[in-house]
Amino acid sequence: MSQLTILNEIEQLPADALFGIKQRYGQDDRATKVDLGIGAYRDNTGKPWLLPAVRAAEQKIHSDVATYNHEYLPITGLPALTKGAAQVLFGEELVNEHSDRIVTVQSISGTGALHIAAKFLSKFFSSKKIYLSDPTWANHKAIFEAQGLTTTTYPYWNAATKSLRFQEFLHAIETAPEGSVFVLHACAHNPTGLDPTEEQWTELIDAIAKYDHIALFDSAYQGFASGSLSKDAYAVRLGMKKLALASPILVCQSFAKNVGMYGERVGCFHIVLPNQSEETTAVVKPAVQSQLAKIVRSEVSNPPAYGAKIVGTILADDVLTNQWYTDMITMSSRIQTMRVSLRNALINLKTPGTWDHIVEQCGMFSFTGLSPEMVKRLEEEHAVYMVGSGRASIAGLNEGNVEYVANAIDEVVRHYLTQSKL
Amino acid sequence: MTIMKILTTKGSNPTIALKQFHRYLNTTNKLSLLNQIELAPPDKILGLTETFNNDVNPSKVNLTVGIYKDNHGKVTTFPSIAKAQKLIDRELGLNKNLSYLPIKGGKDYAENVKHFLYDESCSPTNNLIEGNRNNYGKQLLDNDRISFAQTLSGTGALAISAKFLALFISKKVWIPNFSWANHMNIFNKNGFRDIHYYSYYDVKSGQLTVDAWLKDLKEKVSKDKSPEPHCIILHACCHNPTGLDPTREDWDKIIDTINELKMIPIIDMAYQGLESGDLIKDAYLLRKCINPKYVWDNGLFLCQSFAKNMGLYGERVGSLSIVAPSHSQPRVKEAVDSQLKRIIRSIYSSPPGYGSRVASLVLSDPDLKSQWFKDVTVMVNRLQGIRDQLSSNLDWSTVNDSQQHGMFYFTRFPLPVVQELRDKYSLYLTDDGRLSLSGINDSNIEYICDTFKKIENQSK
Repeated sequence: MSQLTILNEIEQLPADALFGIKQRYGQDDRATKVDLGIGAYRDNTGKPWLLPAVRAAEQKIHSDVATYNHEYLPITGLPALTKGAAQVLFGEELVNEHSDRIVTVQSISGTGALHIAAKFLSKFFSSKKIYLSDPTWANHKAIFEAQGLTTTTYPYWNAATKSLRFQEFLHAIETAPEGSVFVLHACAHNPTGLDPTEEQWTELIDAIAKYDHIALFDSAYQGFASGSLSKDAYAVRLGMKKLALASPILVCQSFAKNVGMYGERVGCFHIVLPNQSEETTAVVKPAVQSQLAKIVRSEVSNPPAYGAKIVGTILADDVLTNQWYTDMITMSSRIQTMRVSLRNALINLKTPGTWDHIVEQCGMFSFTGLSPEMVKRLEEEHAVYMVGSGRASIAGLNEGNVEYVANAIDEVVRHYLTQSKL
Repeated sequence: MTIMKILTTKGSNPTIALKQFHRYLNTTNKLSLLNQIELAPPDKILGLTETFNNDVNPSKVNLTVGIYKDNHGKVTTFPSIAKAQKLIDRELGLNKNLSYLPIKGGKDYAENVKHFLYDESCSPTNNLIEGNRNNYGKQLLDNDRISFAQTLSGTGALAISAKFLALFISKKVWIPNFSWANHMNIFNKNGFRDIHYYSYYDVKSGQLTVDAWLKDLKEKVSKDKSPEPHCIILHACCHNPTGLDPTREDWDKIIDTINELKMIPIIDMAYQGLESGDLIKDAYLLRKCINPKYVWDNGLFLCQSFAKNMGLYGERVGSLSIVAPSHSQPRVKEAVDSQLKRIIRSIYSSPPGYGSRVASLVLSDPDLKSQWFKDVTVMVNRLQGIRDQLSSNLDWSTVNDSQQHGMFYFTRFPLPVVQELRDKYSLYLTDDGRLSLSGINDSNIEYICDTFKKIENQSK
């Protein structure tokens, strides 16, 4: 053997881009610095915001001395969470109507749900091709490919016009091998912040139904796009109504952003089974549930309790649920205000280019259209951090730094404009 | 619809009919794929709790799950943990920030756990027990040879190990017979191809079978001429489910053998502290394995959990360490770190925060830490008290054996007896006859002992 240890042959990988930004930002000791990297909500003072609903739920949990302990949760998760999560996603009406066809397991936030989906697909539908939007969240590809699945992309974002490549998206659905899996961002598309309109969703989902594809919704920002849970669940609910007649639909749900559970890792994975005879469903549902449980058992045994209890408590208590609705509006409206402030500031500065897309996009991010070299210069010269693709987390802006950021963007845009003329 | 029907109904246009049929096949295929999914058997241990909860017998006793209960049958939070929670909740404001942790977990947590495992648990005073004067663990830390990740308790550590090993080093593992039921499942579901079992325990005699164990390894591992090394799972202490551990002398022989066979040790340390009541003392297998007289060519894996010894079960707090061999290139640690990150990023991105904040605070605050050491002793003393009571009430000589440790006692009742205990007496053990001692308390010990006597008399 040439090497004493196989370990010597292991290749070193580059750092994860997003977590790398966080690290560099942490080490940056310039007095003024702005983190528009990772998608986490910040309040108007730039601090993480503990939702009042979360604080109230925590107090409720801790004060219940007789029942609060750290016992294992069931493998499939905390019932209060899984039940409440399905209601949030599908709405009470659809849940009541189709509860016998909905299988839900708690997951380690959105990534964990996507991972379970990938593992499930690779075990039972391994020949399916996975279609991801171009561009998409950086981790999507890795999650599916790590399970041996083949991924490809569908057109989504037109960088020149900063709009949706709708016809090409539709065409991709029509020409994909029948029975492919389409990963759809349920709302607040990451990274572009651009969603199809309701009419466009109808056409897209009709096409998916027509060609017998399987829809996998990634719902990481419900409530963040519009401030309304039901409005932001439009695509998922439409999918459930139109698709679940013939094929299963899969939904990966995260409470990281909308309840601010980021580091507590709270989410759910749902499968809505196709509409078949009651007898068949009665056999298929427990079978699917048992296989999902086996996946969970082989990786984490049972999901983490603390965050699940917080979200479960909020969803089971009307007062807390209403507080949470208010909290979501607080967050989404602040972000909207910042979009307007940034756009206005850039227009006032007469920064070359158009900036209306910042206001038209929704959710946490704006796909600014800044080039990788501009992003690099923003970081190096101005200590403004964002993802190389030009994705900026608008939640990182506040009244205290939005002017600074606008000036920084203005400088880098003009810098490269001048350079290209030289 | 059958092909004939489709062809006849759409008969006028063969192209449409064929397309329709193609779609029919596809749809059918898609539905039947889902319909073909088999019911996976329920988890052997956690499934029983459900049955227990539905049992209406007022005398019912759950002796299945490995969760510590106090003398009132309650799952309580250790005083040290409760105090840490209060600090986090009220004073430190730590819980105001639920931000994402880094992919491999919090930095404070990593420093505190590594210090606890490799410095304190390997300190010379304790090493004197095994005749060493050097703190080899501290040296590993100083030489930066440990790749470390916060994991979702012991299962998470084992699952990440399995994925890492299967990707780069080996897909062959040896698991003791008996072992925790999930060991096989974890390795099987995370890329391992060859799962072997080594002799560990003889049900008839209730004794360990160390000689047969070593014979198994020597015969089969040395015959394998492929360059792919073999991994082996070792229970660090309080073997699950038998509760019976090798003696220190036996361990020396065992480690010598697996080292000679160039195997990769995967130490599963889920019960540190529950053997002797002394957290530090119980890390003896780790101390033995990191002695530089053993070179582990393809690394040493430690999968460690605070589920039992801090009672943080459902919060999922644990860690994985991969110790690179002294002769590996210096770049290896960073390469391994980067691969661990990639694996974790595609499974769950980053670990849950709360439990790790509690554990980290307990490990870093001297008062909380000494309270924690006491809490573990109190727990183990109660378990020992139950052993004493069982052994004085029943004719069970082995329950107080000096090598018998931890939360469990392995009754060796055959499955029909276990079932009778469940069905007739509402006394729940796991299928393999494992009994979780802490489910026994003053209010049920009489019922339990009487029932066991009845059952044993019957079989005589």
